Amino acid sequence: MNVEPVPEEPQRKERRPDGAAFVIAAVLAIIAVVIAWSTATGGNSASYSRIGPNAFPYAIAGVLLVLSIWTAVEAWRGEFPEREAENVGPIIWIVAGLAGQMLLLKTTGFSIATGVLFALTARGFGRGPLWMTVPLGIVISLVIWVVFSKGLQLSLPAGPLENLF
Amino acid sequence: MDTFALLGHGFLVAFELQNLFYALIGVTLGTAVGVLPGIGPALTVALLLPVTYKLDPAGSLIMFSGIYYGGMYGGSTTSILLNTPGESASIVTALEGNKMARKGRGGPALATAAIGSFVAGLIATMGLALIAPTIVKFALSFGPAEYFALMVLAFMTVSAAFGDSTLRGLTALFIGLALGLIGIDLQTGQARLAFGIPDLLDGIEVTTLAVALFAIGETLSVAAARNSSEDKVEPVKGSVWMSREDWARSWKPWLRGTFIGFPIGAMPAGGAEIGTFLSYSVEKQLTKKPEEFGNGAIEGVAGPEAANNASAAGTLVPLLTLGLPTTATAAIMLAGFQQFGLQPGPLLFATSPQLVWGLIASLLVANLMLLVLNLPLIGLWVRLLSVPKPWLYAGILVFATLGTIGANPSTFELGILLAFGLMGYILRRFGYPIAPVVVGLILGPLAEQQLRRAMAINQGDPMALVSSPIAVVLLLLALAAVVVPLVLRARGKGKVLAQLAADED
Amino acid sequence: MRKLLFVLGCAVVVLAGQASAADYKIMAPASPGGGWDQTARAMQTVLQDEKISSNVQVYNVPGAGGTIGLAQFVNNAKGDPSQLIVGGYVMVGAILTNNSPVTLEQVTPIARLTGEYEVVVVPANSDIKDMAGLVEKLKADPGAVSWAGGSAGGVDHITVGLIAKAVGVDPTKINYIAYSGGGEALAAILGGQVTAGISGYGEFESQIKAGSLRIIGVSSDAPIEGIDTATFKDSGVDVVIQNWRMVAAAPGISDEQKAAILADMEKMAKSDAWKKVLADKGWADTFLSGDAFSAELKKDIDSTSVVLKDIGLVK
Repeated sequence: MNVEPVPEEPQRKERRPDGAAFVIAAVLAIIAVVIAWSTATGGNSASYSRIGPNAFPYAIAGVLLVLSIWTAVEAWRGEFPEREAENVGPIIWIVAGLAGQMLLLKTTGFSIATGVLFALTARGFGRGPLWMTVPLGIVISLVIWVVFSKGLQLSLPAGPLENLF
Repeated sequence: MDTFALLGHGFLVAFELQNLFYALIGVTLGTAVGVLPGIGPALTVALLLPVTYKLDPAGSLIMFSGIYYGGMYGGSTTSILLNTPGESASIVTALEGNKMARKGRGGPALATAAIGSFVAGLIATMGLALIAPTIVKFALSFGPAEYFALMVLAFMTVSAAFGDSTLRGLTALFIGLALGLIGIDLQTGQARLAFGIPDLLDGIEVTTLAVALFAIGETLSVAAARNSSEDKVEPVKGSVWMSREDWARSWKPWLRGTFIGFPIGAMPAGGAEIGTFLSYSVEKQLTKKPEEFGNGAIEGVAGPEAANNASAAGTLVPLLTLGLPTTATAAIMLAGFQQFGLQPGPLLFATSPQLVWGLIASLLVANLMLLVLNLPLIGLWVRLLSVPKPWLYAGILVFATLGTIGANPSTFELGILLAFGLMGYILRRFGYPIAPVVVGLILGPLAEQQLRRAMAINQGDPMALVSSPIAVVLLLLALAAVVVPLVLRARGKGKVLAQLAADED
Repeated sequence: MRKLLFVLGCAVVVLAGQASAADYKIMAPASPGGGWDQTARAMQTVLQDEKISSNVQVYNVPGAGGTIGLAQFVNNAKGDPSQLIVGGYVMVGAILTNNSPVTLEQVTPIARLTGEYEVVVVPANSDIKDMAGLVEKLKADPGAVSWAGGSAGGVDHITVGLIAKAVGVDPTKINYIAYSGGGEALAAILGGQVTAGISGYGEFESQIKAGSLRIIGVSSDAPIEGIDTATFKDSGVDVVIQNWRMVAAAPGISDEQKAAILADMEKMAKSDAWKKVLADKGWADTFLSGDAFSAELKKDIDSTSVVLKDIGLVK
């Protein structure tokens, strides 16, 4: 959910260090190092501008490093907004849907791949059963495919189902 | 001066019953396709352009204008209701608009967007008709140094979208800037941060990132929220229509948005989104109710929407007078114009005035039709929110991926979409604002290229950056944007500070 | 009897299959709307309208100057005579600068279809009147002459490098300002932000006609009708370059298959419909096929890799 400033939240000074926020700080630091390393090994070309292709990457890496330290400090003080517990299940369903669409798209065509995405997303929101939603999704996607591919000339990957048209 | 005679003739043609009908069809089709999440105006126009080929030139021009306006408005509708902007220029609209929609005020948000778009479109199209040549001269006087100053000013305004924490706002911005580095450096042809992957050489597509962070990120967070039953969004609370107060708070932002958006849209390297950022930050500074910003302030919808539409009309200035397409939508419009035998360029106004004035009249008529069609439909659009969540979000993902697949059907691009979708979820979970990421990706490369161009043209002399009055003024404005709030905070130890502190966490 | 019918039926099916071997799938290794895409779609229309092929499909694989599409084409189309790819001179440079794992030597070049020459322009109020004036300034101080053109390593940049080399100026010293897309460069030239601009003629045509840009040279071998300027060569700068577009077939096809495709393409290029497409789009007909094209391609690849090294873009 979008996190909004919660005014009624009491300003507790003694918050526990926030483990997840430390992970974010570490990730930021890793990104900074990767940028700097990739830039350093990428070579540089001189030009009249004196600001070459490497200046911005180094500057951004530097700031990210500072932000990483700052994040770590806030994490230590526990200043990150409190998070409500969330379900992991739905996320796995939806990510599986997106990954499924990505992997199926080239082989099975748009409708089947997108039908899988539709059904798994609905499953993530607790709506099933899959044996009903998968065909439903495929039919909806096939209609979309016909409208966009035949009607509007958008090039969408075709598979066995689409080739029937 | 036969300008008005020509425009009058254009109107006579546009107001023929048959042409009004074409305008209506165009607006309807444009809205219907533009409203799909992940499909912005550029793709909408590209998809529907062939539909217009079969008509006579006047009819097709009018239908085309209708599609264009419909596509733009359709994009705003989903930004407001579903928080899924299909393109960069509606990101700012989503900031406040979606907060309003969540509070059951989707109706007024859509209305102020529609009327603001109409007002801005009207004024800006008139501006296009009357002062296009002057505007072009001003726009051409912008060199790399002036553009760099403009980008600096735009960067200062991003902070308006930071939300409640400077740390997290800055982090989001710099993640965007880091993503902007990926790909071949324009000035030297050197690959940066591509790690030898050819698909990364062209950089991260802004639309892909925006769709992933907003549409997919939003879907994941909604799905994962545990107390989803309590969080039920009310489609309508109070009136669907704008109240007297809404009107009072909207009309000034509409006008300000128009005057910010039009000139920026007219600049060959401006881009519609910069106008929306500036407008949002101006409204945030001027509002009487700063506490509402970030929680659904109507000014934050009215201003940027007007700026967006005005800058869209503004992009027609360099397009028609110089043949310069400055945005993706403009590039597709150029292709459309060429179908109608319109050769944009310096000679256009001299060689084919009927077509130009016909186009301008069509734009005005289409703009009107948009209002006619959409105001009554607002009640219907708002019902979109009462679609059961599983079907609504499954549909959002289908259309969001459809947009990406249609533009580039590659497994890699979908992989990027998935990865950034997850990033969008994580950012939301930890209270990071989303908009600065996209803003960083857009503005970072622009600012970098302009800076390096300015330095190269002047052979490395940094004084070149402050050698023109326009650049100096823009840089001073940027400085003021940072310093003034600080001074205000230091001085107003009383109420202002308390209010700001409450705002600042 | 039934068996015989069955065999006959099979034969018909096989024959039908062979008859449709003239079907083509054309890859445009760029986004919809660009030059390569337009070329591929124009081919599709003409091949079908002229009944040279019954079914032509066009698909886009955008990215990295066409090298992503090229790599996919080389890997997937091998030995398939129905697969074609559109490409152009830009690909030659992109393969070198991107260290592309596949090269144009791995496809079977069929024919050059169209081409555009590079022109150099200056703002109308510039004190540079002709190529000699520009060369003089370039020799005096290469850094003071800023050139606006397309992305680094593209045909515009290569042309500037060749010009510098031809007049004895160190190509690494040129002050080339890259703009994304011709429009942005055009605005910079019109606004007098840079000394000169370089791009294909079509990009500047309407401004030259309106008198807001002065054209001072064109990269063709001989003067071109309708373009009112001297060639680089005639101004004493020995540079001839053409930004061409071509069609190539899959790697590993037989000589007969290659000859068949070549015949189809020649039929297409000679048709009135193709001539009309070229005229409508303002593309010059620089059709060149077979061994002559292969030799020309080889020459272009060699000269480009030299100049890219000279400019310092390829190590």
